[in-house]
Amino acid sequence: MKRMLYYMERDFRRWLRGRVNVLSTLILPAAWLIFVGLALPIRFTDNYLDFIAPGILVLTMLGASLQGGSLLMFDKVLGYLQKFLALPAPRESILFGKILFITLRGLIQATVILAIAILLGANFLNPALIASIYAVLFIFGILLSSVMATIALKVEDHDSYAAINAMVSMPLFFTSSALMPYDQMPGWLAAIARLNPVSYAIDAIRDLQAGVFPATTLLGLLIGAALVLLVSVMVFRRATV
Amino acid sequence: MDTAFTYLKIGSGRSSSLATIETSGLTKRFESLVAVDHLDLAIDREIFGLLGPNGSGKTTTVKMLTTLLIPTEGDATICGYSVTKDPLAVREQISYVPQDMAVDPKLTGRENVIFFAKVYGVPRPREVADEALAMLDLAPRADDLVRTYSGGMRRRLELAQALVHDPAVLFLDEPTIGLDVAGRRRIWEHIIALKDRGMTVFVTTHYMDEADHACDRIGIIDHGRVVATDSPAALKASVCRDIVSIRADGPLPGGLPEGVAFLGRTDGEFRFEADRGDEMGPVLSRAFARAGLAVRAVSVRQPTLDDVFLALVGESDDTEAFDDRRFRRMLRRR
Repeated sequence: MKRMLYYMERDFRRWLRGRVNVLSTLILPAAWLIFVGLALPIRFTDNYLDFIAPGILVLTMLGASLQGGSLLMFDKVLGYLQKFLALPAPRESILFGKILFITLRGLIQATVILAIAILLGANFLNPALIASIYAVLFIFGILLSSVMATIALKVEDHDSYAAINAMVSMPLFFTSSALMPYDQMPGWLAAIARLNPVSYAIDAIRDLQAGVFPATTLLGLLIGAALVLLVSVMVFRRATV
Repeated sequence: MDTAFTYLKIGSGRSSSLATIETSGLTKRFESLVAVDHLDLAIDREIFGLLGPNGSGKTTTVKMLTTLLIPTEGDATICGYSVTKDPLAVREQISYVPQDMAVDPKLTGRENVIFFAKVYGVPRPREVADEALAMLDLAPRADDLVRTYSGGMRRRLELAQALVHDPAVLFLDEPTIGLDVAGRRRIWEHIIALKDRGMTVFVTTHYMDEADHACDRIGIIDHGRVVATDSPAALKASVCRDIVSIRADGPLPGGLPEGVAFLGRTDGEFRFEADRGDEMGPVLSRAFARAGLAVRAVSVRQPTLDDVFLALVGESDDTEAFDDRRFRRMLRRR
């Protein structure tokens, strides 16, 4: 499992060298937080920022994870992945390294968003709350980045990956409980939103905000992450390039 | 090159009754296409060059031997380990340098090599990386970003990466493609030095002159079948003997030396075929002089691997219409 850390270390070195990337991934969630969180006239709550902040935190993880698959695609197009697959190191260490990097990078970005949210006046200043939010985001990040890394392994090139990414990202966000509570949604949207894994993560954070332990949503996320990881490991073990 | 390497032990004491690489009936089919057809090879502590036209099955063969593709039929062993039954053990013994320049441009040369040493689980990754870099003459530029490296340097960096775990077998897919003349020569010098240390090198290439110069043995593959395997010299000898051309005026003198066959005459140039052209040239020249003919020029042309290749494979490639979808499918499956 040490090898997983070496793969991760490599991606961190690369990431920190590309300074534009570090910044660009933060723009979208920050914009949501400021322009929607502060400006949207909403009637169902008097503190929309508090309501939307969990959604934006999860959106940050979502964006980071979706973008993360392209790292594997990059290795594949470069021919680097072929070398990795011919290494004696267990192949899942490539997968775990990528997942860990993507998730930790997402958490770093989420930290910045969390700081902005707190500065804007959202009520998050509770160490236990923040720690449990990180735990939820971590599980969610693993779930999604594992899916995206496996998709990247299977699809042909950057274009196909970008197409899948575009197809998945916005619908996942808009059909979640990020922007409004279930009782404010039209019935059909609420039905979709209750199935959406993004809602699971958001609802878990909202429960934590309200001081409730989100047992069911957390369990749902954990089971989802475990299943997806299992499938991904199998796909990676059998990968031929 | 012969400095003592403390941490990097290339070719350190191996012995086995089996040849390092052995294939028996190795076959790969993609639907109706037979990419590799019952390959039987035995390769041991030498530079083995696999030559063939595009799409002849070279890369598919390498991918099967490096456990990246599962054979449809047959098997191969690397250092006694089967590629189908024991792929992990095979991967411990080999290094694979694919055709694309697979180095990370955003890392420095040293970081690239250290990364591989760590992933291979080498005990002292930093020291091993330093030595591998020194061995490939990359030490002075080791801390520059690979983005700034030339093509030749990137290739050498790939070789350095491939050496960190002291592999018994090195697979190189088109190692000199896209390099300038000096870069190519340098890569081959390094490859030959590795063989001299006891490593088995399996290389695919399009460049006949390079294969002729560097490979101990050559296999020529066409439509997935190996049509010939031998040393470059033996292959060349099998195709045709040396051609001696003599420019002189007058009729063909009588009493030709033994073992020389007269081929024909065009515009005052006599052409002969002989076993040792370099020795027969002067002999023939003296025979001409004795007959009172003024010899104006003597030239000897030895057959090249190009001749061998064309004789065995022909120029028949690209006869089929280019089927884009099939091509893409093949690329994907390779």
